Amino acid sequence: MAGTIRAQYPPSIRTVLVPCTGRVGSDLVMRSFGRGADGVLVVG
Amino acid sequence: MLEANRHKKINILSYSEVVDIDGYIGNFKVKVNRKARFIDENKCTGCGSCTEVCPIYVPNYFDENLSVRKVIDNAFAQAVPAVQDIIRNSCVECFACVDVCENDAIDFSQRDQIIELEVGTIIVATGWDLYKGDDYGYGTYENVINQIELERILAPNGPTYGHLIRPSDKKRPTKILFINCVGSRDVKKNAYCSVVCCNLSLKNSKLIKSEYPDSEIICTYIDIRCAGKGYEEYYRRSRDAGIIFLKGLIGSMREDSLTKNLIVQFEPVGTDTVISMEFHMVILSSASLPSQGTVEIAKVLNMERSPDGFLKEYHARLDPISTKVPGIYICGSAQGQKEIDKSVSQAKGAASSAAIPMIKGDYTMELIRASPTDERCAKCYKCIEACPYSAISVNKTSNIVVDLINCRGCGICAAICPSQAIELIYYRDNQYMAYIDELLPLND
Repeated sequence: MAGTIRAQYPPSIRTVLVPCTGRVGSDLVMRSFGRGADGVLVVG
Repeated sequence: MLEANRHKKINILSYSEVVDIDGYIGNFKVKVNRKARFIDENKCTGCGSCTEVCPIYVPNYFDENLSVRKVIDNAFAQAVPAVQDIIRNSCVECFACVDVCENDAIDFSQRDQIIELEVGTIIVATGWDLYKGDDYGYGTYENVINQIELERILAPNGPTYGHLIRPSDKKRPTKILFINCVGSRDVKKNAYCSVVCCNLSLKNSKLIKSEYPDSEIICTYIDIRCAGKGYEEYYRRSRDAGIIFLKGLIGSMREDSLTKNLIVQFEPVGTDTVISMEFHMVILSSASLPSQGTVEIAKVLNMERSPDGFLKEYHARLDPISTKVPGIYICGSAQGQKEIDKSVSQAKGAASSAAIPMIKGDYTMELIRASPTDERCAKCYKCIEACPYSAISVNKTSNIVVDLINCRGCGICAAICPSQAIELIYYRDNQYMAYIDELLPLND
């Protein structure tokens, strides 16, 4: 979506592709925080 | 429709409702409720002798309740199948029709009957309904009607046999106002454009003008949207015919209680003046809504709907016919409002799409599927509740089983499982962990 509307986003953002937002569980979110992420944005 | 009914391989189940569905592409099991119509379709010839003896008159729903019919009557002249139609709620059960019927086709002991069909593919074409809000006094002011009511008034087989009259005094209106975009292109009601109403206004205003050249017809609009082959020319011909098009919205409307005429305050776009005009009749081009049937079938078939309420296609631009469920296709106004030619194109596309897997005999699917590990499973069965496609079940040894055809590989079960006993092939937890670890390296 961000690509379709040509939106710019900061280079510090890392994207993880999931088949469906339902796949995102607390374990993946917590792992990201554990590795130092400032925030996790679930985008569908 | 008649041709379809006569076709050997087409079976029309009218007055029936899909109540349940099971299975997958190629092997759907559909439960259909054949509602009791109290008339044996095989015996009724549609002769109409029952209509003659029926003593009760009811509003004719086909004529938008502008005329009356008998309780037992044909629904409309071209109805398929051509059998009589009983409005059971209004029937007084005098059984005069039963006595007069020569073929013993009327059977008041009929009950709803559930039948099960085995089908390979499904096409949903549930159409649209008209918005009937109280905008511009619709429902209160007698001479404010919608386009569908006008269609019936102008129809040669309609309540007035095609003669234009207004509802209040049954006289011919000479000053007529068409208001476009009623209930649509309005973020408070329906944000979308209903597509067909501009052309509908043109068609009906032109019809009136050619029949009664002394009519004064004004058409107010936000934008005239007549895009498509031949439509712009049609719009030009309407203007040439003397129909006046005014850009702007109607500010207020009130009814003259004596004459039942409608007094309209209108502000043309680009001016700071307000014009007051009087009309004999006002026609509303009301928005089209997803039909009641669309709402119901979406629930039964577990189909997604777009924010506007119409059925959601697989891809709005590249695949507007398929849905998220393989084997179920959509066409016409069930998918989104469109003109007749586009509905026909989409219907033909849906028919071909539905035929292809049936003729091919096989169906290719992706291997991204949930896979359970029995040893780790704590048998909390949270995954069964979470699965939106009802693909997970329990076998005799109380282990989790995934139906690989119904599973769509969304991974909700994998996310919800507390013991990582169910995982998504190619999207396993350890793969994601490694992925995240690599994206977010620890500096120290």
